[in-house]
Amino acid sequence: MRITRRTRRTAVATLAASTLALTAAACGGDGGSGGDDGGPVTIWMSLDQTVVDGIQKQLDVKAEEAGIEVEIERVDGIDKLIKTKIQAGDTPDIALLPQPGVVASVVELGAAFPIDDVVDTAALEESMVPGALEAGTVDDELYGLLVSMNVKSLIFYPKKAFEKAGYEAPETLDDLTALADQIKSDGGTPWCLTMESGDATGWVATDWMEDLVARYGGVDAYNDWVTHDIPFDDPAVQEAGAYFEDVALTEGNVLGGAKAITATPFTEAAKPMFDAEGPSCWMLKQGSFFVGPDFLPEEVYANLDEELGVMGFPAAESGGENPVVGGGDLAVLMSESEDAKKAMELLSETDIGNEAAPVSSFISPHTDFDTSLYPNETTRDIASVAYESTAFLFDGSDSMPAEVGAGSFWKEMTAWLNGDQDIDEALTNIESSWPSS
Amino acid sequence: MLEKTLTAFVTVLAGVGAALALFWILNKVSELLPAKYEERLKPWFYILPAYAAIAIFVLYPAVQTVIYSFKTKVGFPAEDWVGLKNYQDLLGSDAFRGTLLNTLLWIAFVPAAVVVLGLLVAVLADRLATRGENAVKTLIFMPMAISMVGAAVVWGLVYDYRPPGRPQVGLLNGILDGFGAGPVAWLQENTLHFNSFLLMVMLLWMNVGFAMVLLSAAVKGVPTETLEAARIDGANERSVYFSVVLPQIKGTIVTVFITVLIGVMKVFDIVFVMTNGNFDTNIIGNEFYLQFFNNNNQGAAAAIAVMLMLAVIPIMIYQVRNFRAEEAAR
Repeated sequence: MRITRRTRRTAVATLAASTLALTAAACGGDGGSGGDDGGPVTIWMSLDQTVVDGIQKQLDVKAEEAGIEVEIERVDGIDKLIKTKIQAGDTPDIALLPQPGVVASVVELGAAFPIDDVVDTAALEESMVPGALEAGTVDDELYGLLVSMNVKSLIFYPKKAFEKAGYEAPETLDDLTALADQIKSDGGTPWCLTMESGDATGWVATDWMEDLVARYGGVDAYNDWVTHDIPFDDPAVQEAGAYFEDVALTEGNVLGGAKAITATPFTEAAKPMFDAEGPSCWMLKQGSFFVGPDFLPEEVYANLDEELGVMGFPAAESGGENPVVGGGDLAVLMSESEDAKKAMELLSETDIGNEAAPVSSFISPHTDFDTSLYPNETTRDIASVAYESTAFLFDGSDSMPAEVGAGSFWKEMTAWLNGDQDIDEALTNIESSWPSS
Repeated sequence: MLEKTLTAFVTVLAGVGAALALFWILNKVSELLPAKYEERLKPWFYILPAYAAIAIFVLYPAVQTVIYSFKTKVGFPAEDWVGLKNYQDLLGSDAFRGTLLNTLLWIAFVPAAVVVLGLLVAVLADRLATRGENAVKTLIFMPMAISMVGAAVVWGLVYDYRPPGRPQVGLLNGILDGFGAGPVAWLQENTLHFNSFLLMVMLLWMNVGFAMVLLSAAVKGVPTETLEAARIDGANERSVYFSVVLPQIKGTIVTVFITVLIGVMKVFDIVFVMTNGNFDTNIIGNEFYLQFFNNNNQGAAAAIAVMLMLAVIPIMIYQVRNFRAEEAAR
């Protein structure tokens, strides 16, 4: 959510500029759009430049073997851009869209083609993380093909101190509570939980809730919750809220106490884990994007594998359903040309990320991906959390209507954590804010 | 580059040319009329484009907004007439009533504080030697040149919070830390709307300079003869100020007060950037933005705009009357 929120905002700023640039490019006559013009297959994506370069490099090799030509263009804020471009009739052959909701709206606009017969769905069902194909399915047809992903259901910890203290990765949510209690009885503070994020304050809390709802309610309840087929304050959600309340508001659980949660910038969360005199707090639940120079102390980022430990957010019950929540980019076919279909097929191959993985934060959604290609142990651990999960779920609040997903859900959770209301009031308020139409 | 410059040049030429052509045609049309009417009607012909512009760009949207406020989800398939429902929903919700209360607090506090502080600076700076006066005024005026969002960055640093025991980055918490006191979560502390007042301080910081400039000019415009006469009559400095200076600059005070007041009613950026209305700091400018841009709830947003418009109109009328009275007195 953090990432898409950023994209959303930069999109506004850069939309005009990129629109101009793209119009100019189209006028320049390079035949960027439309598909059947015999030119190269165009792919638009908003991924990081390093990822784009890596995919282009691998794709060039594969495309040459297949006898087609493929050109990737990096655009800003494709989730917004693609809709204006569809209206203008100036679309790429393939677009990588950041959310299932955007895929669905592109399908609704009639701009996408199903790919059930283009890619080998049976093989993909086997090779991809469970749930990846469901995320790209609209009205029982496959439209979106997950190409890259990120993972949110992670707990980071200071590896050296953690191992020295003899703590072990919890297998269930109860184990997690027990571990927190153990840390407390050893004189430590278990949780690094901070969420101030300017006008987007609240997304850290909604990420917590999503993970917990997926665990207490299971995949079906989670999906129903996101689409509002069950009330927002369903008993499973209340159970999730109770667990989160226990984590966040129990005396001594969070560094700085309850007030510090809403007041401290989310960017600061990881730093106290690496204090010189030992961790000031021990565990941080955040997404894979947190493994970056902006969020970690310099020495830690330089020695990731020795310093930073990462484990999956535990399941509700040992051996039970163990979903992960995350995000990713879904390739959507927007042209019927044979070349574009061929390119789509190439994008579905496991080794498409081989050049991107070693040099960027790219994580492949294919469980048979060669994990030795990831640049470090941390990324391998993050990937394996997703590969070993029972289901991959997209960030739910992104798919909720904006007045909830980027509105009341953030605001009510923030007000609750700030002590202005209790969790039941918060959930009831969010439920009543759900738009009727 | 050359192409762009040329395009810009041609656009400007065309714009100015079209305006000239329009007035030339209007002039010609008026000349076609009998001489008696020509003189009488020419001014109307000349002012017509301006009125047309106001009608298109102010009146039409205003009417449109009122219409939208009775609808829901304007521009979406779900668009529908809902009567007064938008108003009922807003006024019936605790959150919106809290938002209104906050807005009232801003209205009650900020304009008055701006005038008082601006006057204070103007009068005190007036007593300094020229160089000192200029230096003080420049300093006080400087925040005026900073954008609201820029100000939010500055004040974000002032109010920044880190948990106890962490190095405090924020100015205020840094000072507290220096005295050995624990950090305060300034913007989260909403007892008695404390955090709202902290946000108001930001607007004061930006507006006092504006008030000072106008009020200082007014203070300097007070004829010295009146002051001397009062002093010769034995008035002390306080009564000179309150009985001689203040009455003579009343017009400027009212103008400053109302300008700031209207600014306060529309305030949005400070709250949006600092808290986005969280922690009980919401005001209607921000609520409008959230309803319109975040919630796609154009009906509710329009209803808020209409309420704001209704609240501003009496003030505008007062201001126009006041202005006319001043002009007449001159």
